[in-house]
Amino acid sequence: MNESPPPESPQDLTESSASERQAHPVATKDPKTEYNFRIGIGARLYFLLFGAVVLMGGATLLAYFTFNETLRHEIRLAEYSMPNLINSVDLARKSAIAVNGAFRLVSASSQEEHAAVVETMAQETVSLENSILELEARSAFGQQTQLIRSHLEELGKHLDVIKQSSARRLEIGQALHVFIDELGETTRRLERLLVQAIDDQAFYLISGLRQLDDKAHPIKKRASEDELTAYRNLITVNQSANLAVLLLDEVLVLADRQFLPPLEERFQSAVRHFIHAYAKLPDSMQHDLLEENLMRLDEIGQGPEGVIKLRQEALFRLEQEQDTLAKARTTSEALMSEVNNLVAHINEEAIQSSTASRAAAQTGILLLILLNVFGTVGAFVLGSLFVRRYLVRRLVRLASAMREMAKGDLEVPVQVEGADTAMPVKGSPDYLIRNIWYLIWNDEVTDMAKALEVFRRYAHEVQRLNLVEQLAKELDAKNENLENALENLKNAQDQVVAEQKLASLGQLTAGVAHEIKNPLNFVSNFAKVSIELADEIEELMKQQENLDLEEIRSILDELRISLGKVKEHGERADNIVRSMLEHSRSKEGEWRKTNLNALLKQYVVLSFHALRAEDYTFNAEMKEELDPNLEEIVVIPQDISRVFLNLATNAFQALSEKQKKTDGNYEPELSISSRQVGDHVEFSIRDNGTGIPEDIRHKIFEPFVTTKEPGKGTGLGLSLTSDILVRHGGSIQVDTEEGHYTEMRVLLPLEPPAEAVSSMENRTK
Amino acid sequence: MTMRMILLLLVVVATPWVPARAEFDQQTIVFGQSAALTGPARELGIGMRLGLLAAFAEVNQEGGIHEYQLRLESLDDRYEPEAAIDNTRALIEQHKVFALIGAVGTPTSKSAQPVATEAGVPYIAPFTGAEFLRDAKMRPNVVNVRASYYQETEEMVVRLHEDLGINRISIFYQNDSFGQAGLNGLRRAVNRHGLNLIEEVYYTRNTEAVKIALLDLRRANAEAVVIVGAYKPAATMIRWARRLNFNPYFINISFIGSAALAKALGADGTGVYVTQVVPFPLDASLPIVAQYQKALKAIDGNSKPSFVSLEGYLAGRIAIEGLRLAGPAPTREHFLQALVRAGDIDLGGFHLRYGVNDNQGSDRVYLTRINKRGQFQSVETMSAP
Repeated sequence: MNESPPPESPQDLTESSASERQAHPVATKDPKTEYNFRIGIGARLYFLLFGAVVLMGGATLLAYFTFNETLRHEIRLAEYSMPNLINSVDLARKSAIAVNGAFRLVSASSQEEHAAVVETMAQETVSLENSILELEARSAFGQQTQLIRSHLEELGKHLDVIKQSSARRLEIGQALHVFIDELGETTRRLERLLVQAIDDQAFYLISGLRQLDDKAHPIKKRASEDELTAYRNLITVNQSANLAVLLLDEVLVLADRQFLPPLEERFQSAVRHFIHAYAKLPDSMQHDLLEENLMRLDEIGQGPEGVIKLRQEALFRLEQEQDTLAKARTTSEALMSEVNNLVAHINEEAIQSSTASRAAAQTGILLLILLNVFGTVGAFVLGSLFVRRYLVRRLVRLASAMREMAKGDLEVPVQVEGADTAMPVKGSPDYLIRNIWYLIWNDEVTDMAKALEVFRRYAHEVQRLNLVEQLAKELDAKNENLENALENLKNAQDQVVAEQKLASLGQLTAGVAHEIKNPLNFVSNFAKVSIELADEIEELMKQQENLDLEEIRSILDELRISLGKVKEHGERADNIVRSMLEHSRSKEGEWRKTNLNALLKQYVVLSFHALRAEDYTFNAEMKEELDPNLEEIVVIPQDISRVFLNLATNAFQALSEKQKKTDGNYEPELSISSRQVGDHVEFSIRDNGTGIPEDIRHKIFEPFVTTKEPGKGTGLGLSLTSDILVRHGGSIQVDTEEGHYTEMRVLLPLEPPAEAVSSMENRTK
Repeated sequence: MTMRMILLLLVVVATPWVPARAEFDQQTIVFGQSAALTGPARELGIGMRLGLLAAFAEVNQEGGIHEYQLRLESLDDRYEPEAAIDNTRALIEQHKVFALIGAVGTPTSKSAQPVATEAGVPYIAPFTGAEFLRDAKMRPNVVNVRASYYQETEEMVVRLHEDLGINRISIFYQNDSFGQAGLNGLRRAVNRHGLNLIEEVYYTRNTEAVKIALLDLRRANAEAVVIVGAYKPAATMIRWARRLNFNPYFINISFIGSAALAKALGADGTGVYVTQVVPFPLDASLPIVAQYQKALKAIDGNSKPSFVSLEGYLAGRIAIEGLRLAGPAPTREHFLQALVRAGDIDLGGFHLRYGVNDNQGSDRVYLTRINKRGQFQSVETMSAP
């Protein structure tokens, strides 16, 4: 305010509030035509709201796309990957069953088992085909499924071979089993028949007996060549039959097809043997049962459906099956490998789908979090920058400024950010920045601030004018108060002085009483003497005859002298009393010529006796060096006497105090002196008492300063003394050393002051 | 997610498996018999079965044992070891028999008994005296009734040696485990008397090719021929011996089938001895024999008492006794333990005693001889004809 001149009009003030504009007169043109573009608070808020909406819309879109993506992957996983995976695993399982089928077929030990395996495999094959078809229908695994299919077909061919071969082999096995039983039976029958026949023939050869009832044949007959040959042939049949059976047993357990032909040859040989031998047996020994069993043995061995042929075929088929099985195994390995590839491939795909789904979800979550953080930070920044810093703070400041103004403080200018920004001048070096700055700050708050500032300036002007008037009034009132106070002060001062006078009177009472007592004693004694003289006269007068007039006369002279003494001492007492009265009179004393030596002595004595009245042990030596030629000077005797009294009292008290503190060697001494020094007279009152402490020496003439015990002094003594001496145009000097002495020197001018002169003139008139 | 799916696919549906309980019927206790009901040895199987049925019918008639009815399930093994195995398995697994009883023959028992032992099923009173069945430690489930072949052959040698002073003893045996058992027992018995067998001949089972063997015996000049074989070849051999005027003492072991032998021999049977392990079935003075005769008549009025059916009856009786001793809820273990702990069991004059290491009830061997009328008679000692 101080730096800018008082405005002349509100319009002018607005214009001049921006110092820049004053610096650039161009800018002082009508702002409305030039700066019609402004972004108001409303616009800004709407802009912020719009930003928030855009942010939210973005978040929604992002969430939508994320969920969509996740859903897409999930659907793919559920509708495509999972079923594929299930199918492929199923395919693997079924393939394994198909592969196992070959082994199960080969190892099947019965036809029932074989049939069951074939049945199962037929079902599994159909099922397998369906699995492949389903897999192919669903997705593009053409190449892999094609491979699997071809492997399966190959495997199927192998399986068919094995199936047929093993079926036939089991059939043979069944037939062989029947043969084994039959062979056992046949063998046992042959054994029984042949053993019996041999036993019979041998017995016959030895005993010649065939039947229990027969007569024994003679040796020639029974041991004939025919009988012996028959016995030999029987033995041959038995041996060859046994050999044939053994060979067949060997054939049955033979595992290597290569060894079959030699066995077959030996069997044929054995059969030829027993057939040959049997044919040579005599008719009595050939009987149907034996022949039948022998033929049966031959047939079991080498018939077209005999053991050897069947065994040969079985072994051949087994070998074939083993070969096919080996091929099937190779095919199976390829198939399983392919199926495993497929499963792995589909599994990989499912994992990819799952991973992609998870990744999409995670990306979405991350983006949303980022958006959220970005939005939160943005909101915070906008809130802080725009709302708090830009709006609220400025409004608070505005409000604060308004509040200050309402309180009446119009000194501080309204300081709100942006209030001092101004439209930049085109072409200036930082035009762009300034323009932006202006756009930022140029809003309604700025307007308000500017308007408030204008208002403040007006208000301040008005307030200043009011203030001068008010100050004048206040000054008058204060003067009045001061006068009243002065009056009161004076009254109080008089009161204090009066009280001081009374107080000093009190102090003097003892001294005064002592002073009055002396003259009264004289009065009393001379009065007694006078009475005795009067009595003597009366005695003399009674002697009429010798009336000695001379005597009477002389006695009357004596009486006269005595009464003169009474009168003298009476007057003296009267003087003392009058002097006391004058001293204590509240009315201001009169100026008059006074013998100050006498006054000094009188009050020193008074003071001494006053102290002795309190402390009879106190004593002091008093020395006088009074200038007898001292002129009488014009003073107010009551005032000066008070000065002397004060000084003397202080001195005696100092002595008394010191005496109490020290031992008997101390000799209190008070010296008074007077002399004329130039146009002044100087009175000195010196004691060798306690002295004045250094720390209060400079303020002993101030009121209420005392070193005495409470109740012994008012602290006003020296203050009044000083005042009195000032009034008389005099002064007082102190010379002291603590613990040793104090000397007070009072200086009074010989020429009385103007007041005294006028006072005395008034009195004369 | 993929892992979870695969795990789901791997879930296997487990079928609860209920183990089959092999226990006998609540009301009926079934005994199983695998024996030769056809073929050359059929007389033995049929006889044993008859005796068992008589004993079971007898006790069932009286209200059963512990209120259980006893039933016999018989299967024909034709005296074939393989068939005996199949039968024994079938009886244990399908017929759920409580115990096996009355098996006939050594080779059949030798193959069937391990099946029973493995299944923990009692194997009661096999019609054989083979020594391996007397091994109680290895065969705790076997309960023998009869004396062993060793004891029979011992009795034979004692009688021949002490009664007749014969030292030249030979053997004619069936060439199988039965014959071998007899051969071993006889060798041992002869050796114990400081002797050796002067000739050992055999014949092929199920044949009558015995004549060469007979010639060997004659050549050895045997005074006594112990026959361990079937009645048919034995009879053939004895008849041919008579024809050749070769007349040593012929002593048959109990397995021979006494009645069939006597019948086959006819007049040639006079003086042929047979050792028995059961009392004489016609001697009704013994209470057990009287009971047997009565029970036999009760189920078949036409059948005649025989050593075989008596042995079957005794087998049935000891089975019943075992059940009775085992208590009201008999188990196989209780059954076997009850017999072991029972001490002396007196079946009407026929005494049996089992122990911890003794699974053979009777040690008695009885001697019989075919008289001139072709009938058996009980004898105490041997004597010259």
